[in-house]
Amino acid sequence: MNMIHNLPWLFLLLPLVVAAIDWVCLNKHPRLAATLSLLSAAATLGLCIAYLTGLQTGTPGVYTWMPCSLEQLCLHLGLVMDPLAMRMMLVVTGIGLLVHFFSIGYMKGDPSNLSRYYAGLSIFMFSMSTIVLADNLAMTFIGWEMVGFSSYLLIGHWFNKASAADAAKKAFITNRVGDFGFLLGILLTLGFFGTMNFADMAGKAAGIAPAVLTVTIVCLFCGAVGKSAQFPLHVWLPDAMEGPTPVSALIHAATMVAAGVYMLVRLQVSMGTEAFTETACNIIAWTGAITAIIAAIMAVQQDDIKRILAYSTLSQLGYMVMAVGLLAGEAAMFHLYTHAWFKALLFLGAGAIIICCHHEQDIWKMGGLTKRMPLTVLCFMMGTCALIAIPGFSGFFSKEAILDAALSKNPVFFWIGAGVAALTTFYMLRLCIVAFMGPARDHGAEHAKEAGFTMALPLVILAVMAVISGYGFIANDLVPFNGFHAHGFALGLPFYVSMGALALGILLALAIYGLGGRTKDPLAGNCISKALRNRLYIDALYDKVIIGGLQQGFAHVMEFLDCYIIRGIICQTLVWFTVRIGYLCSWLQCGSLRAYTLVSAMGLIILILLLAYQF
Amino acid sequence: MFETSLCQILFCVLAALAILCAIGVVAYRNPVNSAMCMAVCFAMVAAIFFGMGAQFLGIVQLIVYAGAILVLFLFVVMMLDIHDEGHSKSIRWHSCVGVFIAGITAGLIFNVAISLPGATDTPCPVKTLCASAGELLIGDARQVSAEPTACTQYGGALPELNAAAAASMENPSISAEEAAKATSISDVKLIGKCLYTHYNIPFVILGFALLSGTVGAVALARKIRKD
Amino acid sequence: MIPLAHYLILSGILFSIGLAGVLIRKNIIVVFMCLEMMLTAANVALVAFSRAQGTAGVPVYDAQVLSLFITGIAAAEVAIGLALIVAMFRARRTVESTALNSLKD
Repeated sequence: MNMIHNLPWLFLLLPLVVAAIDWVCLNKHPRLAATLSLLSAAATLGLCIAYLTGLQTGTPGVYTWMPCSLEQLCLHLGLVMDPLAMRMMLVVTGIGLLVHFFSIGYMKGDPSNLSRYYAGLSIFMFSMSTIVLADNLAMTFIGWEMVGFSSYLLIGHWFNKASAADAAKKAFITNRVGDFGFLLGILLTLGFFGTMNFADMAGKAAGIAPAVLTVTIVCLFCGAVGKSAQFPLHVWLPDAMEGPTPVSALIHAATMVAAGVYMLVRLQVSMGTEAFTETACNIIAWTGAITAIIAAIMAVQQDDIKRILAYSTLSQLGYMVMAVGLLAGEAAMFHLYTHAWFKALLFLGAGAIIICCHHEQDIWKMGGLTKRMPLTVLCFMMGTCALIAIPGFSGFFSKEAILDAALSKNPVFFWIGAGVAALTTFYMLRLCIVAFMGPARDHGAEHAKEAGFTMALPLVILAVMAVISGYGFIANDLVPFNGFHAHGFALGLPFYVSMGALALGILLALAIYGLGGRTKDPLAGNCISKALRNRLYIDALYDKVIIGGLQQGFAHVMEFLDCYIIRGIICQTLVWFTVRIGYLCSWLQCGSLRAYTLVSAMGLIILILLLAYQF
Repeated sequence: MFETSLCQILFCVLAALAILCAIGVVAYRNPVNSAMCMAVCFAMVAAIFFGMGAQFLGIVQLIVYAGAILVLFLFVVMMLDIHDEGHSKSIRWHSCVGVFIAGITAGLIFNVAISLPGATDTPCPVKTLCASAGELLIGDARQVSAEPTACTQYGGALPELNAAAAASMENPSISAEEAAKATSISDVKLIGKCLYTHYNIPFVILGFALLSGTVGAVALARKIRKD
Repeated sequence: MIPLAHYLILSGILFSIGLAGVLIRKNIIVVFMCLEMMLTAANVALVAFSRAQGTAGVPVYDAQVLSLFITGIAAAEVAIGLALIVAMFRARRTVESTALNSLKD
């Protein structure tokens, strides 16, 4: 029995089985659970590397989960093993392994149930692999919901903390809004393309009306808006930082939030770019651009180190979505790939700093960390350089690729991108200057010392990747896009503009924050700062209008219906009738023996009539 | 012929007495009078049983009903020292209703009795009686009523008792000549045979019912101790 | 001999009188007597049918056995019923059936 062609299923089964074992059997043995999860992540990474280096096992089997008489309505579970998927798997499993490793140091001594934590990580690995390897939209959707679920579990890992529980709920419910659109989009795809299988979609877009295509693509895009935290639904991602920092690195920076971009690019590849009509592309690109810019603006006035990074993630995701909307899938995937490495680095670095400063997340209570934890700060600075696109670091290449694409398609997006780049430089330098330079402003930072081996090793590996992953000799083989060619140095308008933006950001940051002598933010205190700190009041607006207004209004209507229509009219009428009928019938139960006998006698007469006379 | 008419006269007298006494049970206001009337009524019924040749049942009727049960009734009536019922309007109204209902029942039974198959020339209005048992089980008896003469043995006088046949049934080993010598039926033997063979288990269960009735009566009627 | 119909009519009349007594009388002992009378009426009908259904002049003794059972059950019933009446009289000092309505409230 040759089952070797089913080897890729291990990508899904291994983490799933490990998660089940962790969750069910190993509640009392967190170390064993951590080892198992780490081993499963390592095994999947090894498998992934084997496939990337040319292992061939044939086509993996397709499993029909829900059979149906109509072939296209069957729910198949199949794996797609093209370079797009496998290289994405490398990002997922690679960063996954490093995060598992980092978690051992980060979660040491945490009083919560660590088996649950590692089980959650393994569930996440399983669900993310499902999204990446799915060969049809239905399976993608299953993985989609599963990552939402595991994200919920991990954000709410410290569920005793009210803010963590609320954030988990918020993430889950906000995603649900996007998922509704995604589900509609899947059904529309099934209806108009006649299939959910990516492989069968090619070329079918030509025969479909543009309006229908637009609606379908926009509905599918809704899913990406939810999962990748784009503008109207971006509110959950900053709150998701309540979870453990390694989780933020893995799920809310590197992989899960990129799933929306991956899904869009996967659709672009399988449906063909002709399926993405101009209207749909405009909607996608503008959503990305708006997200990029408002997230960058909001990041400028955040004090929590993880929140700054979260807004930066939002902003970079906006970049990617914008690139997808500009039909530059290769640029989007390039940026996704470089961003995954350096953003994971930044988050893990932030995690190390937070642990070493005794769980202090406010950058204004840090300071002077350069001397106390030089390795961590060095790694963090490398990540920062990649993020702000200093030439030579990976982020530079991918950002240039996006800006190039924007300039050739629509210059408006180019200038937006450049502005966001300047803002990115500004807020990242603000973070670095305030947190690392000057004197220590709190005793947590005073007693900080270098993180242990388990935390340092992933940082170093990621720092290396943050530098080199953008160069052609690595990127050409590893960027999750078929036939990708790395973007080299090219002098031209995009290069000059991005250098200008970089210089502008650096100068502004140095001018305002100096070299770390300040103890509080000189920009704070005015109304703009207040608005930015309050996230431009978008969350408050949702609270007031959607939750307070719409939901409460709806609740009032329902309450009215419940109280007056259902309880008042329907129930009361029924009760009234029942009571009347009861009173009417109660004369039968008069308590008089004779009356009962009378009824019995009448029954006897009826019996005689029925039996003897056969009426 | 004379014997037949004597039988009829006797039956009519006994039946009339029984009915009169039954009315007396209902009509007398004093329970003691009612109980005495009941005794007479049951005795008359026992006499009618004798007339039908069911001597054993007649004796049981006398012993159990007219003897034991009546004594029990009288005993309770005496023990409780019950007064007469008073007059009231509701009594009269209830009487009307009761007599009306009872009248309807009697009328229905009367109609059934006189229209038994074979008793009259006209087709029997009581459909059930016209159909044989098997047909009844299967379905609609209305279709069966097309043959009103399905069973005719209910018409006319009851068949004469045949002592010889009963004797041979009682003891199948005796010869026909010996059986022919029998002059009367000893129905005790026949009933006993039936009772202790076919109805053995129900008979035992009846014994248990009587036992539990006795125990229950004692349990109910004893004085309940307060502690 | 007397036709079956006559016995049945006698049985029906006795039964109806018993029924009327149950309906009319308030005294529960008399009601009980009337119940016994109804059972006796059933016995009359049973014995009459046992004769009528008989073959070759031999009655069907199953019917008579059934009537014997009725007598036996009636005896047990009287024992229990009278004990109940005694208990009821102890509790309420009355044997009027109209007094037995406390379950209604």
